[in-house]
Amino acid sequence: MEAFYELLKNFNFLLIGAWETLKLTSFSVGIGLILGTFIGMGRLSRYRIINYPCTAYVEFLRGTPLLVQISIIYFGLPQVGIQLAPYPAAVTALGLNSGAYIAEIVRAGIQSIPRGQYEAARSLGLTHWQSMRYIILPQAFRNILPALGNEFITLTKDSSLASVIGVSELMRSGQFVISRTFQTFSIYFGIAFIYFIMTLVISRIVRYAERRLSVG
Amino acid sequence: MNQQATNSAASQEILRIENLHKRFGNLEVLKGVNLSVRRAETIVIIGPSGGGKSTLLRCINRLEEYQGGKIFLDGVDIQQIDVNKLRTRVGMVFQQFNLFPHMNVLQNLILAPIKVKNMSKEQAIEKAHLLLQRVGLLDKIYAFPEQLSGGQKQRVAIARALMMDPEVMLFDEPTSALDPELVGEVLDVMKNLAESGMTMLVVTHEMGFARDAADRIVFISNGVVEEEGPPEQILKQPQKQRTKEFLRRILE
Ligand SMILES: Nc1ncnc2c1ncn2[C@@H]1O[C@H](COP(=O)(O)OP(=O)(O)O)[C@@H](O)[C@H]1O
Ligand SMILES: [Mg+2]
Repeated sequence: MEAFYELLKNFNFLLIGAWETLKLTSFSVGIGLILGTFIGMGRLSRYRIINYPCTAYVEFLRGTPLLVQISIIYFGLPQVGIQLAPYPAAVTALGLNSGAYIAEIVRAGIQSIPRGQYEAARSLGLTHWQSMRYIILPQAFRNILPALGNEFITLTKDSSLASVIGVSELMRSGQFVISRTFQTFSIYFGIAFIYFIMTLVISRIVRYAERRLSVG
Repeated sequence: MNQQATNSAASQEILRIENLHKRFGNLEVLKGVNLSVRRAETIVIIGPSGGGKSTLLRCINRLEEYQGGKIFLDGVDIQQIDVNKLRTRVGMVFQQFNLFPHMNVLQNLILAPIKVKNMSKEQAIEKAHLLLQRVGLLDKIYAFPEQLSGGQKQRVAIARALMMDPEVMLFDEPTSALDPELVGEVLDVMKNLAESGMTMLVVTHEMGFARDAADRIVFISNGVVEEEGPPEQILKQPQKQRTKEFLRRILE
């Protein structure tokens, strides 16, 4: 009873943390989208000088733990003279990380568009970039919307790792509450519940957007 | 032939293909194609599948690069022309239409003129109206491709290519993906276009169209021009054994 009371009493505080989690995730996915779009296109380039670095980027970031990546950026970079505050460090790490996953999603999305679309665009005199911008990417993004939604959900959960460098998102807020109330069970359970509701709502929004787009 | 005749013949020539060679890896697809096309001429290209007809068309607007030989557009080597500029001068219509499914008919038409030729939006829309009227689809101007029949899609694709005011139009089996009852409406549009003086290279198996609309039939097999001539001659009295066999198979 006591445990439940503490959870209720601190629920607003946790919700503020949840809002921070949502912002942190959104910023990171925003960066990841921009990065992933270019790297995903770069992966398909026939020029090795573009293709290889993009492939290396994707392989490296997908092949190493996010916690290690966050640590490199927050604890490692200061040794070579680059000092980032916790929040920018978290956004950077999460953005770079999701950029790699989104690059793979974008690459698959581009490859799902029939070759004839690109050729028709080029045959009208559009440049490679114009063809990508007006013809290929709009169709690709429509196809990959569910996958991007999944990436957003994954990153919402993974952003909890930012707590280790002191970003006051949901996880960190919960730990703070625990340090004062010692109610580990109810508070951690409350955190899980809030994460669950967030991801549920996001997946519903994505599904709704998907249906709207497939009609148009 | 006297000098004057030679000159006027030369000035009539809009497209010239000289000893064109094209390989895909080790596979030699074009083995020295020669072809001269006069302004306003309609050429129908026929030949067995895999003979290199599509590849030839795609070399002309440089969707494919070639390893040997030269192609001249209005006397200028196309390698000397900016590739995007070249493609506004040589329009292409594909077997699969390739309309942009996320855009309506009007948007399909006006995108390239606005982005490539810097045409104003008003001007592009006006031109789109004229061309859609010409292909008989003005009432579909706000339709999306998925709402159109195959024949309507192909007519939109033709109008889209015409938006760039091309000097030459390439058609790669434009009716092969259509249900038989929809072939006629597309061929009618193409016949009108041919009569209006457009220079056209048409790969097709529609021998009726070849007979009625072609100034010349070119038979391509195994990567070379086996035989060419006016429709009556090629269809009635082919000289080469390969041509005879091909026509017998396709006409039965
Ligand atoms: N992109 C490509 N890569 C490899 N081989 C190709 C490619 N395009 C066409 N070919 C080959 O070139 C030959 C000629 O093809 P194509 O020009 O399409 O013939 P046609 O249009 O007369 O049927 C075929 O053997 C085909 O398999
Ligand atoms: Mg072909």
